[in-house]
Amino acid sequence: MKNLDHLIAQLAQDNAPRAAASHPLLIASTWLGYALAYCLIGLWVSGTRPDLAARLHNVEFVAEIVVLLTLVLASSISAALLAFPDAYQKPRWTLWPLALLAVFVVLLVLAYAADNPPAPQPLHSWQCTMAIVMVAIIPGGWTLWAMRRFAVIRRGMAGSVAVLFAFSVSALWLRLQEVNDSISHVIYWHYLPMLIFASVGWWLGKRVLRW
Amino acid sequence: MSENLDSFTNLMQRALNGDNRAYSELLQKTAQLLRPYLAKRLLFANDVDDVLQEILLSVHKARHTYDGGRPYLPWLYAIARFRLSDYLREHYADDLKHASDIADWENLLPETVTETAFSYESIRAEVEKLPAKQAIILQLMHEQGHTAKEVASLIGMNESAVKVAAHRAYKVLKTKLMP
Repeated sequence: MKNLDHLIAQLAQDNAPRAAASHPLLIASTWLGYALAYCLIGLWVSGTRPDLAARLHNVEFVAEIVVLLTLVLASSISAALLAFPDAYQKPRWTLWPLALLAVFVVLLVLAYAADNPPAPQPLHSWQCTMAIVMVAIIPGGWTLWAMRRFAVIRRGMAGSVAVLFAFSVSALWLRLQEVNDSISHVIYWHYLPMLIFASVGWWLGKRVLRW
Repeated sequence: MSENLDSFTNLMQRALNGDNRAYSELLQKTAQLLRPYLAKRLLFANDVDDVLQEILLSVHKARHTYDGGRPYLPWLYAIARFRLSDYLREHYADDLKHASDIADWENLLPETVTETAFSYESIRAEVEKLPAKQAIILQLMHEQGHTAKEVASLIGMNESAVKVAAHRAYKVLKTKLMP
């Protein structure tokens, strides 16, 4: 009991005025702004696919890009909420990325079924996964570092969402950059690794987001 | 109760503005609030004190994530649950790390914990009627005093197979000798 009183006295003495963290939506929009700027800079450096204007008339492609963009938005909001111990008392909002992933899977299944006869496979394969991983390192590392300044209690989930956020940005960049119409290639070498790395994020979050 | 909750929020807002007395009062009230919650979940008073201290330190570290615009208690209990489960996880992981394998103790324990009704000599005739492998196992274990592990290495079987064979033999002998 004496120890507890001593601790309280010490903590009270250490208490300096401290600005409260911004609202999670503001934090999420900052992260989103950085991520989209990063994606645009990436596209400016690597160039967009030459047939982008034509592809934007294709419903499946546009739907894929829209859902990817929404996934980026949802995962940034979810990551920002998970940075607060009580998820800013909006726990359901943290599940948005899961709902978006379900929509994304349905969309990919429909696109896969509609890909008949299948579009020719590109000559490369794992290089796409490598490119996505390389591009995702900066936003992923930055998001996890930013989350460490808060107080994450669902560390595994927060890690997964942060990695998903970074990989969605990266996958979006590659989809707008690479000339490739093969949906099976996109599923195997773009989106499946994205999901695998998001689950690795669970493990990463448990280690990186300790406080 | 509502007034009490308001006071938590109010104290926290004053604490964030650098009011040390309000902060000290908030931490004391928080400790009073959480003590029964922890006492229900932990066996020893020492553990309750340890976890309480962990929680107060966490509240201190995370106080910038509370802005006064939402109820204080869900925020506090989220941290309390997190630290409690962390503590329990570490505690049990530590217990398991220091736990010894029961097999390590097997050879130190007395071979029989109760008096047997029969000596091996008195049931030798029945043992010899068992299948050869079971008979050898019982002979080695009960006449020569080997453990199941030693018997296993002597006859080239694995230890659990020896135990299973011995168990089957005991069942047969039991039905014959204790009708």
